[in-house]
Amino acid sequence: MSISLECAKEHANDPAVLCCRAEEGVVLSSHNLEDPAIFDDLVESGLLNLDGCLTIKEVIGATLTKTSDSLTPLTKDLINEVQDAFAEEEKESEAEEAAAPDAPAAAAPIAMSTKVPGGTLKISIGEGKDIHIELPLSGAGQPAGLASIGNVSDQSAPSCLSTAGNTASDKAAAPEPKLIRSLTRKHYQITEVKRGPETRIDGTVLTIREGIEKDAIDSQALVHDLKIEIITPDKYHTYSETIMDVQPIATKEKGCEVGSGVTRVLDGVIMMVTGTDDNGVQIGEFGSSEGYLDENIMWGRPGAPDEGEIFIKTQVTIQAGTNMERPGPLAAHSATDVITNEIRQALKKLEDDSLVVDTEEFNQYRRPGKKKVIVVKEIMGQGAMHDNLLLPVEPVGVLGAKPNVDIGNVPVVVSPLEILDGCIHALTCIGPASKEMSRHYWREPLVLETLFDPDLDLCGVLLVGSPQINAEKFYVSKRVGMTCEALDVDGAFVTTEGFGNNHIDFASHIEQIGMRGISVVGLSFCAKQGALVVGNKYMTCMVDNNKSEGGIENEVLANNTLCPEDAIRAIAMLKTAMDGGDVKAAQKKWDPKVKANNIELISNVTGKPIVPVKNETSLPMSKKRLEKYS
Amino acid sequence: MKYGDKIIYMEGVIVEVADGAVGIDLKGRLGYMKIPMRMLITDYEIKVGQEVGFQMSFIEQLGPDVNEHYIHDHKNMAPEADLSPS
Repeated sequence: MSISLECAKEHANDPAVLCCRAEEGVVLSSHNLEDPAIFDDLVESGLLNLDGCLTIKEVIGATLTKTSDSLTPLTKDLINEVQDAFAEEEKESEAEEAAAPDAPAAAAPIAMSTKVPGGTLKISIGEGKDIHIELPLSGAGQPAGLASIGNVSDQSAPSCLSTAGNTASDKAAAPEPKLIRSLTRKHYQITEVKRGPETRIDGTVLTIREGIEKDAIDSQALVHDLKIEIITPDKYHTYSETIMDVQPIATKEKGCEVGSGVTRVLDGVIMMVTGTDDNGVQIGEFGSSEGYLDENIMWGRPGAPDEGEIFIKTQVTIQAGTNMERPGPLAAHSATDVITNEIRQALKKLEDDSLVVDTEEFNQYRRPGKKKVIVVKEIMGQGAMHDNLLLPVEPVGVLGAKPNVDIGNVPVVVSPLEILDGCIHALTCIGPASKEMSRHYWREPLVLETLFDPDLDLCGVLLVGSPQINAEKFYVSKRVGMTCEALDVDGAFVTTEGFGNNHIDFASHIEQIGMRGISVVGLSFCAKQGALVVGNKYMTCMVDNNKSEGGIENEVLANNTLCPEDAIRAIAMLKTAMDGGDVKAAQKKWDPKVKANNIELISNVTGKPIVPVKNETSLPMSKKRLEKYS
Repeated sequence: MKYGDKIIYMEGVIVEVADGAVGIDLKGRLGYMKIPMRMLITDYEIKVGQEVGFQMSFIEQLGPDVNEHYIHDHKNMAPEADLSPS
């Protein structure tokens, strides 16, 4: 199909190929040329060879010297003379750009002198003489913020860097950040977990009551058995059923609600939910992520255990055949929470503040004058294990929470601190490498990075479920668009976990936000196996969460989930987009080098090295696997 | 894969619907598969008897070796695990 003149200009340096048969003597225009967007497929399948092919700007205006069929690449021997089609226009625009700085010679030094993070004051003077501008420059000594980075959508070619050199902004002119609320985490170290007559914490020793299993089993009609295993680091090489969830053990202090006030959390120990049904079929699980713990866990991921931690692992057996029904996985989680809750009560009773080994303070600021952004987190809502319990009374608890499937998967606004304080109890179960477990939200890197970024005004986190049926997906994504419109945000991040039909609403969220003129960056595991099934013209800024060597769902827990390095890239990309910078288009095929290039670009500008996290190759391999891969 | 580029259009029939998964018989008695909900793209409420379409290639062995990592799975493959429709 022929292309328009605008399209030809956009693709001026792309190959020129005839879209249909053209006769000798024809003066070539954009109407004779094919859209370069389709060339990758044709080249790949051997239908097109672009060797020696001229570019579009070199052929427009030239005369064809030989009658040629459609899809003929235009080479030098097919035209009378190589052209330079858009040269005139380029010269004109260059002239315009050059003219601007000449006029206000006195103003230019001011414009160049300060780069203060935040509110942007743009001074452009077309023509003038003896213009004096005075601004308070109390912020001049402040370090320059990361103004804008020319970034590349993952899976695309390298790009140029462009820091905003001609942007003057002033801290004093911008309103002061406003503290909305604070959250304090008090950390209590646990070095030993044992069984005993009552659940209690003595110093750094956590004792779990003998016989608590019966209470947990009795609490749920569908739960037929429950075993507790305490996995210390020396037992990491133990066989385990599929890991359904990893949860922090935390509780609110008296009078505090999730998302503010004081939270007490145990360090060095986590809850781990695993289970099968009566027949030994994994709960809510497909494939084979069960196995030896140390071969199946990507240590240190936000959602995964850290190496050295003790796991309180429940192995829940539920009624046969309920492993894929909604009540099944929920029962396993609820039964486990009976145990967690008893530990929470013991943690509440601690009065000795000397046991607090660390205190973290999270402040939620609104930063008026800065670019207002929102984090949209798409969470699973197709049913059964594709569900999340929202806003429990205790961090990552069950009591008081509503399943997002029951809420109809519609968008729910929460504060960033609620996210970090365990307002999501995740039941999500596939696939192991890309699922976001409850602990992931507790340490959510994108929320943390955005919350602490002095250049961004994070107004909230929007949770939206991913329903099963397409009509429902579009129903909820339209609400996402409307919410972003009502909030009047400048930019949005859209994240999703795993891959499958959730990519349909993921794309739709981005479209609904993008069509309102809001800059938007998408984050998902894609690479090879999770390649997006749909796309639209607003999906230009994309960050791939993949970490695996092969670009696949590698069955290693949390391997391909969102990490700080992804959050940093997404923020750089969104800032670029909000400042009107270009993010280069993605390549046709997944190429891990793009991510490496982007990380290098960002490190170069910020001066802060970004060390990518390890992947599955750092884990021990079974003997057979070693033989196979060595 | 040697024959991975041979993509065949296949059809199947939904024979089992759970909250988190669907079971699908491949037409022509060519097999059965059970997939998580989110791997099925749907415009309508899912019902037993609905037909589905998809593209697939032949499945090839990747090598002669047994991967011990996956041996634990065998219990799930046993008939008593009730993975196939009754």
